[in-house]
Amino acid sequence: MALLNIEDLTKDFGGVRAVDHFSQELEKGGLYAIIGPNGAGKTTIFNLITGIYKPSEGRIYFEDEEITGRPTHEIAQKGIARTFQNIRLFSDFSVRDNVRTACSRYASYSILEGLIPTPRRAREEKELADRSSRLLELVGLSNRADELSKNLPYGHQRRLEIARALAQEPVLLLLDEPAAGMNPDETVDLMEFIEEIHETFDLTILLIEHHMEVVMGLADDIVVIDFGRTIAQGTPEEVQSNPTVIEAYLGEED
Amino acid sequence: MNTILQQVINGVSIGSVYALIAVGYSLVYSILKFSNFAHGGVLMLGSYFGFFALTLLNLPFWLALPLAIVGAGLLGIVNERLAYRPIRIRNSPLLYLMISSLGASIFLENFTIVTIGPNFRTYPDVFPIQPFMIGELSIGRLDVIIMVIAAISMALLTWIIYGTRIGNAVRATSYDMRVASLMGINPDAIVALVFFLAGASAGLGGVLFGIKYTVWPQMGILTLKAFIAAVVGGLGSLPGAVLGAMVLGVTETFAAAFVSSAFRDLFSYALMIIIIVVRPGGLLGTVTGEKA
Amino acid sequence: MSQYYVGILILICINLLAVLGLSLMTGFTGLFNFGQAGFLAVGAYTATILTTHYAIPFLPALAAGMAVSVLTSFIIGYPTLRLKGDYFAIATLGFAEVVRLLVENLEKLTGGSRGIPRIPTNTSLPLALGASIIALWLVANYVSSRHGRNCVAVREDELAAESIGVDSFRYKQVVFAINAALGGLSGGLLAHYVGFIQPSMFSTIKSTELIVMVIFGGMHSLTGAVFSAIVLTSLPELLRTAQAWRLVAYGALVVLIMVARPEGLMGSWELTPANIKALFKKSGSAEEGE
Repeated sequence: MALLNIEDLTKDFGGVRAVDHFSQELEKGGLYAIIGPNGAGKTTIFNLITGIYKPSEGRIYFEDEEITGRPTHEIAQKGIARTFQNIRLFSDFSVRDNVRTACSRYASYSILEGLIPTPRRAREEKELADRSSRLLELVGLSNRADELSKNLPYGHQRRLEIARALAQEPVLLLLDEPAAGMNPDETVDLMEFIEEIHETFDLTILLIEHHMEVVMGLADDIVVIDFGRTIAQGTPEEVQSNPTVIEAYLGEED
Repeated sequence: MNTILQQVINGVSIGSVYALIAVGYSLVYSILKFSNFAHGGVLMLGSYFGFFALTLLNLPFWLALPLAIVGAGLLGIVNERLAYRPIRIRNSPLLYLMISSLGASIFLENFTIVTIGPNFRTYPDVFPIQPFMIGELSIGRLDVIIMVIAAISMALLTWIIYGTRIGNAVRATSYDMRVASLMGINPDAIVALVFFLAGASAGLGGVLFGIKYTVWPQMGILTLKAFIAAVVGGLGSLPGAVLGAMVLGVTETFAAAFVSSAFRDLFSYALMIIIIVVRPGGLLGTVTGEKA
Repeated sequence: MSQYYVGILILICINLLAVLGLSLMTGFTGLFNFGQAGFLAVGAYTATILTTHYAIPFLPALAAGMAVSVLTSFIIGYPTLRLKGDYFAIATLGFAEVVRLLVENLEKLTGGSRGIPRIPTNTSLPLALGASIIALWLVANYVSSRHGRNCVAVREDELAAESIGVDSFRYKQVVFAINAALGGLSGGLLAHYVGFIQPSMFSTIKSTELIVMVIFGGMHSLTGAVFSAIVLTSLPELLRTAQAWRLVAYGALVVLIMVARPEGLMGSWELTPANIKALFKKSGSAEEGE
């Protein structure tokens, strides 16, 4: 059973076809990448998977269940977490609270209990606090736990966004250009980080990237898209030597 | 048949007034992406400017009208400088602009109440009141004049926005202010121009409304109608604002004529809710999603 | 305490109830409500009609007012809560206007623009005080709970909130309903304190006053809401300035706040033991271990 099965996904915005019959199958535990020039439709694919857009055509199956066009929060609750190209942290929240808000699996107390505290609420809040602390330790952000997330340096903000996604304890993690805006050293750190969480959390990861080194060093399988259409797919070596891919990237600086 | 035609004319006449106000509102919205609640205050003061130009300064109408229009336009610029620019340049959330505009609108309305007084004022008869007669049909002279003045102003505004270089700059800025400034367009000058035009058309709308009905400090509430018109037509679209205003004017006039005048406003709000739910982009507009 | 000061205190409590709801909905969840007076009117008229026309006892009538108010919030919320900020704000304006129109035109039921006189004045200080303290406790609990955090997340970035599993529409419905309940209670208490109601008591002026209180004190702070309710209710009463100038000042104040200090007086600061300790530490008093 494929974990995520995308069939013939198509999205039109008015007269523009942003995604053109895109298909991909993700096996559990793999590390996959989608690459392509700017505007190729990569983020649109993420938005379609997570229910932010409804596809014009095509279907998406997660753990054999169809999730095409379902509301975003439902899809998140089923076990798909994501990060964004332009970091979307809750800026007025502390580092800790950014993570804590995402730990939804461990708290289920009702709205009524939100108004009137109960022992169960106290217990669950403690659980949330413990889990967030542990997660922050794991990602190396413990010492800044109570700082406002908007005050963190850029690299730490990216890490926090990933930590927040991990807090959901997802089955599938979607990373949208996690290395954007990073210098070579930071990029190497990030790659190691992604490798680590891939192992530690037994995740399936699908990432969008522009930085070739990140992708080549990490991914088992790469799909290359241009103008919303798949132009190549295979292992890093196969893709690197593919003439169509080289042509599409001609003129790209990297 | 006579009554229906008269109601249509009534509807188009009030629709023209709504169109003038709605266009100004949409203009500001398309450039700065926020709803300017103080638009109502400018329209109200424009109406008062005209009123006092006629009654206190005893100017003839062809002088009083431009005076009111220019006055309202300048007021629009001052409003922007004091209440919006300091917030804009700090790149604060749009919400703050909306709240500030609310404050400005409260200020203008109540300042007028305290200084000029809360009473309703009636414009002196600027035009002869006999209706035009076409055979058996009587058509209100004032209505025709309002429609003509509004149409001329709209044409002028359309020419400015679509036919001049500065209008091009305005439209470029409405698409992307940052990029426009990179191309050498001075965003502050554009913003000032837009607020002048918006204020001027609001002032004109206020004067015309005042002539046909009355002038009073809370008449800024008309902007709510303008907003409904803009929403019906498509928020941010200038032709949409005009279309929406006409649709609103005519339909609400019929609602008032055939049900009751209290029903008129209820109908307008209902229309807005229906459009918002059924076709949020409005009749002409498009829905733009947030970029994820 | 003299009757005069008791009256001011009751009014503070009545305003506080409405402001707490607004603070939760507008301040914490980011849903701009410019028509709060509409909910006050719904609560006031429902409760009043029950006590005056149908001899229903006071407390059940108040509860009924709250219930009708909450129901109203679900009805108008359904089509409007999915809209962008501007649209929703103006829809709330429209809502308050519609309520006013309905009240003025359903004369047999509501007395039209003359209103309803001779309402039994059952609102006592203990009741008003008790109600506002309980409301404050409930809302404060909510804000510090995971649901409160989810609401703030919706305010901060709705898309990101959805992506971590927060059902933003449902939360908006919840805070809208809580706001309606508190507003309805406020209206019911007001009617039975003043002894009569007229639609003019629930105009945009009232909505404006309430929103100004939220903005002035700090949109992200319950402490600020309490502070505003106290100051902005009592000051005009104590100073006896002409009502119209008061509104002129409010308008200017709102602009000033947005231009100079948009976070309001308190920003996100809350009166908690930890924060008070921190205050004293900063001002260089006795050394405290960290």
